[in-house]
Amino acid sequence: MFYLITLLIYGAVDVIACLGLSQQFGVAGVTNFGFIIFQAAGAYVAASLALPSDTANGGYQIYIGGLHLPFPMPLIGAALAGALLALPFTFLVGRRLRGDFAAIGLLVTAVLLNLLVTDYRPLFNGDAGVAQVPAPLQSGIFILSSTTYRWVFVAAVIVLAAGVYMFLRRITESPYGRTLRAMRDNDKVADSLGKNLVSLRTGVLVLGGAIAGLSGGVLVSFISVWSPAAWSYAETIVLFAAVIIGGAGNHRGAILGAILVPVGFEEVTRLITNSNPSLPPNLLPSLQWVAIGLLIVLFLWFRPQGVLPERKRLIAVPAPAAGPASEPPAGPAASGHDGQSLLTRGEVARARKGAPGAAGGDDILQAVGLSRDFGGVQAVSDVTFTVRRATLTGLIGPNGAGKSTLLALLAGTDRPSAGTILYNGQDITALPAFRRARMGLVRTFQLASEFKRLTVMENLLSAAPGNRGDSFRGAVAGRRYWRGDEAAAIARATDILRRFGLDKLANDYAGDLSGGQRRLVEIMRALMAEPDVLLLDEPMAGVHPELARRIGDTLVGLCREGLTILMVEHELAIMDEFCDPVIVMAQGSLLAQGTMAQLRERTEVVEAYLVG
Amino acid sequence: MSLFLASVGFGLITSAVLAIASVGFTLQFAVTDVLNLAFAAVMTAGAFVAYWVNQAGVSVWIGLAAAMVACSVLSVLLNLAVYAPFQRRGTSPITLVIVSLGMALIIEFGIQAVVGGVNVSYSMGQGRTFRAGGLVLTTVQIVIIAISVAVMAAVHVLLRYSRLGKAMRATAANRTLARNCGIRASRVITITWAITGGLCGLAGAVFAIDIGSFGPTSDDLFLILILAAVFLGGPGDAYGAMIGALVIGLGTEVSAAYIQPDYKYVIAFVALLAMLALRPTGLLGARARG
Repeated sequence: MFYLITLLIYGAVDVIACLGLSQQFGVAGVTNFGFIIFQAAGAYVAASLALPSDTANGGYQIYIGGLHLPFPMPLIGAALAGALLALPFTFLVGRRLRGDFAAIGLLVTAVLLNLLVTDYRPLFNGDAGVAQVPAPLQSGIFILSSTTYRWVFVAAVIVLAAGVYMFLRRITESPYGRTLRAMRDNDKVADSLGKNLVSLRTGVLVLGGAIAGLSGGVLVSFISVWSPAAWSYAETIVLFAAVIIGGAGNHRGAILGAILVPVGFEEVTRLITNSNPSLPPNLLPSLQWVAIGLLIVLFLWFRPQGVLPERKRLIAVPAPAAGPASEPPAGPAASGHDGQSLLTRGEVARARKGAPGAAGGDDILQAVGLSRDFGGVQAVSDVTFTVRRATLTGLIGPNGAGKSTLLALLAGTDRPSAGTILYNGQDITALPAFRRARMGLVRTFQLASEFKRLTVMENLLSAAPGNRGDSFRGAVAGRRYWRGDEAAAIARATDILRRFGLDKLANDYAGDLSGGQRRLVEIMRALMAEPDVLLLDEPMAGVHPELARRIGDTLVGLCREGLTILMVEHELAIMDEFCDPVIVMAQGSLLAQGTMAQLRERTEVVEAYLVG
Repeated sequence: MSLFLASVGFGLITSAVLAIASVGFTLQFAVTDVLNLAFAAVMTAGAFVAYWVNQAGVSVWIGLAAAMVACSVLSVLLNLAVYAPFQRRGTSPITLVIVSLGMALIIEFGIQAVVGGVNVSYSMGQGRTFRAGGLVLTTVQIVIIAISVAVMAAVHVLLRYSRLGKAMRATAANRTLARNCGIRASRVITITWAITGGLCGLAGAVFAIDIGSFGPTSDDLFLILILAAVFLGGPGDAYGAMIGALVIGLGTEVSAAYIQPDYKYVIAFVALLAMLALRPTGLLGARARG
């Protein structure tokens, strides 16, 4: 009986931990190889808060704290400890550091913290660890038989695990959760759409840390001992195996994984050991680790989505607003024909548009002496130009002319070595990409950059600014709080999808679309961000000429409505037809600027473009 | 003073072993794009191959060569059977790191399942002991340092003056471009696994000689030192890794003489995190890898 109770408690604790890890790794794409140290911190703090001071406790173990606090305090402390421990690591998961390097940093931290706590006895009794941690409420209010008490404990922990599941589901299924998944699929693009990666990842680390800490607190309350052996870095790998096998990104998968891997393995090992006492003592634990390694590798190869894959979030596309359904789709060329603009502004954009018109005058975007060198190679050197409001400005030049680099500098994806960028007359050179996006300066990318595991509809929705549910607090507040904003965003996205003729694909995964369709998704998504200036990097590359023309017509229509576009393009025919003025770059420098007709007159331009 | 010199002696040996491993690890990462966390597990395999050869009554120095060959083959197989298929499928770098962690478990605990959990040591003499001031080194230790210096020189010659080295640097800088320039990238990658695997086996056996008594999990912590040295020098930068190994090796051992030896790894830890936070491209900065 006691055995079953222990099993249930371990299972529930593993479920809680795996849920926290699933939120970090599966939903937000933050690979925390140090996950176990957050559980350990929770366990130690809970122990330290629950135990009486070490001198009053027989003196055979030493530890800091020993506050002897009553029931809920140790667990609250455990969750807080996990959350606070996450803060120093936020620098690792910031914008600059590759995800795998950050993961290595966390792994190293986990190994060395374990070593330190093992060797430094005054903190938590070193290698031996703390023991005799009082169970919550065992003496005092409830006078129950020990078996009844344990069953109540089991029930409480299962309820707690269910609560964690409900809470995480609430967060994951909100606009905030969608933003986390977008960041997981492509963080650079999320940044360019106005998502603050540092704050998002900090939130993810803190929440996951709190959940891990809580799981540690619960565990130590039951088993009453905690030592470094319980939280070697390898335990993190077991949890990762559980989440990968169960299905990263699906919280039910995390629960399944927790039951299959950590619990299942312990049990199988115990059964075999009990039935064959003659086996060498090290053999089974070794084979257990080999099996976990095999499971990880084989699952990542044969079923990377896990047993229970992340499920698709279907969003019903509202029926066409008014108008007879028989009317044929207008097609993008007729943008704005039914009196509704693609640029219909949300409140955010309107607030944003309040002043700036006057501030920058007609020159909405200016580059002054802009340079960028990569270790001696001048990709962009001393470029000065102006983009006028409501124009469709083209940017051409031979391969390697620095067009994409220039676009990256303007959007904030990359930082200039020298020079200034003015937007509406304001110096934005030092602002990160997500701030520029929030000010209405939005870019697209040359390479495919859709959020692969989001549907087309979700791709568009992820870019909608000002959704009340697109923050941790908004997500916690629940669906009722953000339903209105979400419905408005869905309506706007539907409108854009119809105009580009992609509404039939709204609930397809963006990663499953054709190359041309993905380009469309990207343009539509950028429009969802309610830009004032749109920076497009070869939007028509790889797109059928017919479709390219329709895109061009749409863009021209948008410019008439007041949008400003700067577009990199190779196809001179497109430049001829849609762009005015056109800027020519070669070898990092600005060569000429004017209408295509003017440019054709100038031999150096023709030479640079043909010979370059 | 003699305490200081003695700790410098230890530091030099640790640096020598660490440099072989770190250069192998960093070159592997630069050319193949795999952040191979199974590196230490392969080292362990090398140490045991040398042990078995040594048990058969052969000198451990021959065992070194056997370890190099075995780990070279093991690394090539590891790439062909596991990493390359994942990479062809377009697996993300972070997933590949998780795969390598899985392979680390399989190799390390596979060895443990075979040899059991008991530590072993090579049967070998330590040779004469040399003293210079407080600096005390045995013949074996001097040989280890000499091997390491020779390996560093060989890596330098390989990278700077050979066609293969140039092809490796080109592949590291841009695999697609290298392929378009007529470099057979997949062959260069396989050769790189063979070379770095050889370095890995050498490091494993030499590390086992250095620590005297070793077991299947002895290299776990050494992986942390390798990572620290590699990140200190800038991931993918062989010369950076050499400097990183020297800094980490001397830093841990010299600090061990003055603070409690238990905390000597703190230096490596702080160095690694500081580098990740401040200069993710390493001490030498973001220059061309190689």
